[in-house]
Amino acid sequence: MPLLAFVINFSIPAKWNKVSGWASTIAILISCVLSVFVFAKVWNSNHIVHQQQLWFTIGNTKIYTGILLNNLSVLMLLLVSLIAMPVHIYSTAYMKGDENLSRYFAYLSFFCFSMLALVVVDNLILFYIFWELVGFSSYLLIGFWFTRDKAVQANKKAFIMNRIGDIGLLTAIIILFSQYHTFDITQLFADKGLIAQSVIKNGLWVAPLGSLPSIWQYIACGGIFLAVAAKSAQFPLHTWLPDAMEGPTSVSALIHAATMVAAGVFLLGRVYPLFNGLELTILAIIGCFTAFMAATIALTQNDLKRILAYSTISQLGFMIMAMGIGAYASSLFHLVTHAFFKCLLFLVAGIVIHQMAHIKDDNAMDIDPQNINNMGGLRKKLPFTFIATVIGGLALIGLPLTSGYLSKDSILIQSFEWSEGRNGVFKLIPIFALLTTWLTAFYVTRLIVKVFFGELRMLHGKPDIKLHIKDGGWQYKLPLVLLAIGCLFPLFSVNPLLYEQAWLFKGFAINGGLEREDVYHTLIPAGVNILSIIVIYVAYTIYVKRKTNIFPQEGFLYRLSFKEWYFDKIYNKVIVKPVLTLSTASFWFDREVIDGFISLLVKTGIILSKLSAWVDHHIIDGFLNLLVAIVEAISNFARKFQGGKVQYYLFSMLVIILALFILKIVF
Amino acid sequence: MNLAQMLFYVMSFIALASAVFVAATKNLVRSIFMFFITLFALAGLYVLALADFVAVTQIVIYVGGILVLILFAFMLSGRETLNAMALQQKQFISIGKLPAFLLAALFLIVLLNMIIKVDANNLEWVKKSIESKNDIPVNAAMTEDIGVGLMTRYLLPFEAISILLMLALVGAAHLSRKGRGA
Amino acid sequence: MISLTDFLIVSAVLFCIGLYMIVSKHNAIQILIGIELMLNAAILNLVAFGKYDRFNNGGQMFALFAIVLAAATTAVALAIILNVYKQYKTIDPGKIDKLKD
Repeated sequence: MPLLAFVINFSIPAKWNKVSGWASTIAILISCVLSVFVFAKVWNSNHIVHQQQLWFTIGNTKIYTGILLNNLSVLMLLLVSLIAMPVHIYSTAYMKGDENLSRYFAYLSFFCFSMLALVVVDNLILFYIFWELVGFSSYLLIGFWFTRDKAVQANKKAFIMNRIGDIGLLTAIIILFSQYHTFDITQLFADKGLIAQSVIKNGLWVAPLGSLPSIWQYIACGGIFLAVAAKSAQFPLHTWLPDAMEGPTSVSALIHAATMVAAGVFLLGRVYPLFNGLELTILAIIGCFTAFMAATIALTQNDLKRILAYSTISQLGFMIMAMGIGAYASSLFHLVTHAFFKCLLFLVAGIVIHQMAHIKDDNAMDIDPQNINNMGGLRKKLPFTFIATVIGGLALIGLPLTSGYLSKDSILIQSFEWSEGRNGVFKLIPIFALLTTWLTAFYVTRLIVKVFFGELRMLHGKPDIKLHIKDGGWQYKLPLVLLAIGCLFPLFSVNPLLYEQAWLFKGFAINGGLEREDVYHTLIPAGVNILSIIVIYVAYTIYVKRKTNIFPQEGFLYRLSFKEWYFDKIYNKVIVKPVLTLSTASFWFDREVIDGFISLLVKTGIILSKLSAWVDHHIIDGFLNLLVAIVEAISNFARKFQGGKVQYYLFSMLVIILALFILKIVF
Repeated sequence: MNLAQMLFYVMSFIALASAVFVAATKNLVRSIFMFFITLFALAGLYVLALADFVAVTQIVIYVGGILVLILFAFMLSGRETLNAMALQQKQFISIGKLPAFLLAALFLIVLLNMIIKVDANNLEWVKKSIESKNDIPVNAAMTEDIGVGLMTRYLLPFEAISILLMLALVGAAHLSRKGRGA
Repeated sequence: MISLTDFLIVSAVLFCIGLYMIVSKHNAIQILIGIELMLNAAILNLVAFGKYDRFNNGGQMFALFAIVLAAATTAVALAIILNVYKQYKTIDPGKIDKLKD
């Protein structure tokens, strides 16, 4: 099935030519079509495709390899290929003229391969391998423009952050294996699988095949959470994602908006049964905090892509929170819808930045093409892009008639239901979530207004500059159209207002049908949307009418937000500095102590070697000389018999005859 | 002990003593002249073994032929040989000659051992020949017998020896001539 | 009557003296003398045993042959020694260890 696409994708790196872009696109197209077929076949059919064969055997452990297709994995399969296809098309135009085009597409195909493989594999070992491959290919893509110093820094950062997560995942896998003696995802996480049968009792983690202290269960969960946090950019490992925007925008769209960051959520979905109540609560809190924090940061950022990046973090926080509160289906639903509209927004941002860069190059201006303070009024220049952005933005805010509405509201509603039975502190979670949605509405409006309304601020004082920018060819437009359709409701639900009717949601409804009796179900969407619209209007007024920044630029909150909550600085102070100090100290230690020790060793070695040289010279050589002398004597002795001396010959002959005689006589 | 036995012991003593002297002396000339005495004593022993003709031949050929030949060769080889002779070791049994001496002594022991074991006087065929009067009486004249034997029974070995002798003569002459020529 | 064993003992001693000379001497002429001694010891044995072979007289006959052969041997050997001396300026067989100069 999608294996064919993998093979084609794999074959791309071999073709180092201009065709590679199209080859890669065709490959992803094929895999997309195949995914659709697979999806149609597997979805909700209770027919879980699980094929495996023996891979290798270590001791008594048989490791199988195979693919596992259930609702979750076919959904991801479809999503990845659907998102990847427009991005590929877009990339052929966006990256045109880059001298490393073929390398770019090779990386992109490689990434798609790893991602597609990641979602279908059926055991944790393979999962870990592809997890690493995804991280690695994203590292390659972030650092694609490796001549830029910032890009190199960013991919280094991303790589290190991902490493931390990988360690967590590996730890979790090892613990799970030692507990359950299998890597098979089905056996572990199925309805009546091993995890479902194991309980924590009296401080012991009891499983059908053995038991471990319960601390290991928490460590395993912590490890998985670490992996999720690193991949999906959750607090406290989120800082790599904004920096990763140094890569090409299409890459940002594919990897850092839609697919790779979703891998973390996907992992959560796979291992969901592992988590118990307490851990889920922690997940919810962290997700909520991340969502809120990222949204506040996004309020003040000026870099177009950074805004989107923080928005992504915020939305991912939503998903994690949804997982935490048990809204498994909503979380995945949001994952899918988010992939569409965030990808759309990134592609739009790519177009905008591209055009801005054009202007910059044409007029030789020293500006940052990604700074939204320099933009404005692009609505008239890029009408098509504008429409796409509005659709994406509305979906992100979660207004009715968009897919974002369906998924986001389902999360919000379920979070309220969840906090119903809990005490004060937990009630803060839905409230914060609510706040976050309003903040989202605000920053999205700010973004759109600043970019598309008003006039082009970068042209202040330079009225003579000519502008020739346009929406771009069909390679730009087609992906936007595809994704924009994905942002609208009909793809997911016939009823634009009721998320319960979304077919996607039903596919995952593990809680059974939700009753609409609850007051929240009508109150919340209405309240959220009304308030959102108000917020949008306010923001619009602020930015369009007054065109000035109403926030005090020196306020504490502003700085907190603008500086991205000082995470980088804190990390720099708390982690990087101590590490550097530690390294310096260890360097000093290395040089002073170990080197001293080593030089002592060296001196001892020299003395020893001198001693041994003496011994060598006088004793061993002497012995050897003695041997030589003995051998020489013997050989000289023997030589006499061969030296042509007749008398010696005779002598030896006679000796032998004599010996014969004596022997004859004696015996 | 009769006269014959006395003579035998005297002759034996002379022969062996002179032979030892030949072997031991450092002077080549002296050893050659002592070899004369050994050969004469051996001839006497032959006579005591009832082989008169052999004893005469011994004296004629050995003393008159071989020894003279050796002396001639020695004298002809010149002063250098004499000088070389002077450099010979002085001791009778030096360290260098110990192995040879040991070898000879061991050989002697072995031979004596054999001789005593065999007990030659009581050998089967010796007894038989004494019984059948095949042994040579003390007063027999064997020279005639030898002459007849050479021409009849031992004709073939005689002729072979003659040819060999002639070949040796020619060869020796040729060698010497060529050496002189070279 | 002189016993056979006495002759044999005398000849054995002679033989051993000759042997000693052959092995130990550094002079070709002395070695030749040693050979002659050994030959004489053999002839003595022949003669001593020949006493009991009157009709065939093999012992004495072959003693004669041996003497003649010894003469021939000596002649040739002396010729060789002379040539060797001319070639190598020595008659020590221990120092003559080259097949060809």
